[in-house]
Amino acid sequence: MLPTITVDYNKCKDPLSCRKCLLICPTHVLGLGTDVPVVKYRETDTEHFIVAGVRFDKCTGCMDCIKVCPQGAIQVSFSGGM
Amino acid sequence: MCDWCEKYGDGYERWYFNPANYARRLYKIRKEEAEAAGAEANPQVAGGMAIIGRDFLEARDRGDMEEVEKIKQQAESTSWFTHFGQVITLDEALKIVDIMYPIALITCACRRSMQGLPDEENFTCMGMGPGMYKWERWPDTYRGGVHFLTPEEAKEVLTKLNKRGLVQSVFTFGTPYLGGLCNCEYPDCAAISTTVDFGIRMLWKGHYVAQIDPELCNGCASCVHRCQFKALSFVPSRNKAYIDQFQCFGCGQCATECDQDAITMVERASLPALANVW
Repeated sequence: MLPTITVDYNKCKDPLSCRKCLLICPTHVLGLGTDVPVVKYRETDTEHFIVAGVRFDKCTGCMDCIKVCPQGAIQVSFSGGM
Repeated sequence: MCDWCEKYGDGYERWYFNPANYARRLYKIRKEEAEAAGAEANPQVAGGMAIIGRDFLEARDRGDMEEVEKIKQQAESTSWFTHFGQVITLDEALKIVDIMYPIALITCACRRSMQGLPDEENFTCMGMGPGMYKWERWPDTYRGGVHFLTPEEAKEVLTKLNKRGLVQSVFTFGTPYLGGLCNCEYPDCAAISTTVDFGIRMLWKGHYVAQIDPELCNGCASCVHRCQFKALSFVPSRNKAYIDQFQCFGCGQCATECDQDAITMVERASLPALANVW
């Protein structure tokens, strides 16, 4: 069973320096990406980094990421309930 | 012999010992071909996370094996054409350093992605060859910058990273152009986790296989935590380590950790049932 993981990017503004959810996840489900493509001669600004579910198959539903997020930006749900 | 040695070895013992696969000429050809085909021009963009999406996991979750197989084959053919790796031993990595130039220490894109690791703690990846001279064009790919290394410095770093438990591997950027000498770990390396968890071979097994001598193994189990490929376990009733040689990627991490010399790296080609297990 795969979870639906949503992150409110209006609340989560600087995941690259916060990264609490990435480090607390016991099964390394979450990852960092960017919401813009890589551009020549330019370093992507940290505000374009976003947290998203990557290894959905490893999510147990422990909800530790939700508890650790200082902005309350993460939601995790399973279609079978929870 | 592995497919890549057959295709790109050109008489050398391994395809990654063939200097032509690091050459500027090849780098230019591959890059222009990719650009003509409309690919993103960045020659060193890491492709791991993007290749396997949620659609694969959903297909697997609902038991749609036909779809799983389809996505797997597409992902493998894309990866093998553009960006894939093969495990090598530390000795092989040290040998590579002597046949190509330049080499630079760079930050690991996978660990930035999976841990948000700050650049200063993340210099565990190596870029090789003429592409490295163009690093300033792609500041986002080379976040944290690059440190060019002399061959001796590169050997020191590789040995240190190996000791720390990281697995050495070579990676193509437009096969067979070899541009990456990575130092990887499970599960935050996209290639290892994609290969081990999904059976999608972005990382090929190496040319060696670890083999235990049960008479020399004293059951200390210090090797067990070294395996990044789920090939090593411990058998309490025998008080010995156990290696699943069909799952072994041949990195040599367990062998270098064993102070009884109970684990040797044998040539994959010398074992009939393993010779074609990549």
